[in-house]
Amino acid sequence: MTQTIDTTIYAAVSEAIQAEAKRILTAGEVTAVVGYAAARRKGSAQPIVITSAVDAQKLIFTPACVNNLAVYLTKAKKEIPKSGRIGIVVKGCDLKALVGLMGESQLKREQLYLIGVPCAGVLASTIQPDTGLTSDSIAPKCLECDAHLPQGCDFVPTQTPVSPELEKKYAAEIARLEALTPQERWAYWKEQFSKCIKCYACRQVCPFCFCEQCLCDRNKPQMVDTTPRPAGNTAWHIVRAMHLAGRCAGCAECERVCPMDIPLNLLNRKMAKELKELYDYEAGFQVNDKGPLNSYTEKDDQSFIK
Amino acid sequence: MHPEKLKHDFEPKIIAFVCTWCTYAGADLAGTSRMQYPANVRVLKFPCTGRIDPVFILKAFQQGADGVLVSGCHPGDCHYIAGNFHARRRFAAFRKLLEFVGVDLERLQFSWVSAAEGGKWVEVVTDLTEKVRNMGPMTEFKELALEEQWSGTIDTPELKEAYNAI
Repeated sequence: MTQTIDTTIYAAVSEAIQAEAKRILTAGEVTAVVGYAAARRKGSAQPIVITSAVDAQKLIFTPACVNNLAVYLTKAKKEIPKSGRIGIVVKGCDLKALVGLMGESQLKREQLYLIGVPCAGVLASTIQPDTGLTSDSIAPKCLECDAHLPQGCDFVPTQTPVSPELEKKYAAEIARLEALTPQERWAYWKEQFSKCIKCYACRQVCPFCFCEQCLCDRNKPQMVDTTPRPAGNTAWHIVRAMHLAGRCAGCAECERVCPMDIPLNLLNRKMAKELKELYDYEAGFQVNDKGPLNSYTEKDDQSFIK
Repeated sequence: MHPEKLKHDFEPKIIAFVCTWCTYAGADLAGTSRMQYPANVRVLKFPCTGRIDPVFILKAFQQGADGVLVSGCHPGDCHYIAGNFHARRRFAAFRKLLEFVGVDLERLQFSWVSAAEGGKWVEVVTDLTEKVRNMGPMTEFKELALEEQWSGTIDTPELKEAYNAI
């Protein structure tokens, strides 16, 4: 059954973002604001960096504002944070990524002016941008969202997002795969990974893949085959999932940008689920100095060790 | 006098990643004590279990290992204070990931073997070798390496027709 999701607050949220961006840019509190602007196709949106108060009116928030802008602060536009304090428009999931980056000493809280967005959900990657938001067109990550209202921001519009209880697609798919035999799971992932063309879009878009030189690009020693063939693909996706375990904030950008529609976030959700069970860790709004895989307790489970 | 050697149809390749301070010394003790253990195991020495990256295990399987053993100091005995505590969490997570991708975890064994436990080293290696021998060769990764499949299975009728027309 298709449920319509109420996005009427987005217009008021856009206005509040514009007003706040204008205020902080005029007052000189920030040197730039990273946000969303309308793109050329009807209803679509794209990231924008504005530096003058005049441009504040360009900022919008719609269900097509899918990008996680945190990536602009670590990789894509690495020079941005150096120019002074930066305003950034963040949904709850994006804020978790920023919090993770702060925990890993990639960003400082005082460098940022966080404009939180009360978000009821955004569109899935396969949906045309001017479509209405329903339980069918919503991004799968939004079905399991527990962060509709970001916390700890410098400014959050007063609107409250309405978020109905929806079917959790990732949880259902993980449960389905877990119930299969190892051979069936291997066959499933073999089929999925064989689609990979090694474009590394998943790596480029991930706020946490900020290594200057990726292990998978090194050839002395070469740990992962670089050719887009099944062996190298499988190794790449296993390494990717392992390197994000305990760090991934669940923004699902990897899955959104994948041109071959590999369910990458499924691996990330699975690892998040396991780390929650094993070490009671979840990505959240609280900055932690250490994640679950670079801390330990003496009483950790070791039933699998002889 | 050597005990009579059994002939097997399949000799598995076992790769053992061991820490130099405990398990390597333990294996050395087994050797100097003249204990017998299967020659299937290839020992790779690392400074600490904390140095053993999960990607090494992956690489071992890809390069033809039928079983992998990772072994280091008991918790609390680490030469670097906490290397094995970190490794313990990392391997717990990595196991779950491999399991989800469909790798049989019976082929991957973790153990704590101290420098005084030559007997335990023999036991761990023998158990794993026999277990993997009964399971047969690890074929999944080897098959992957032989495949030249690009972007999914191309098996639509239109494509087949086009291919046959060439």
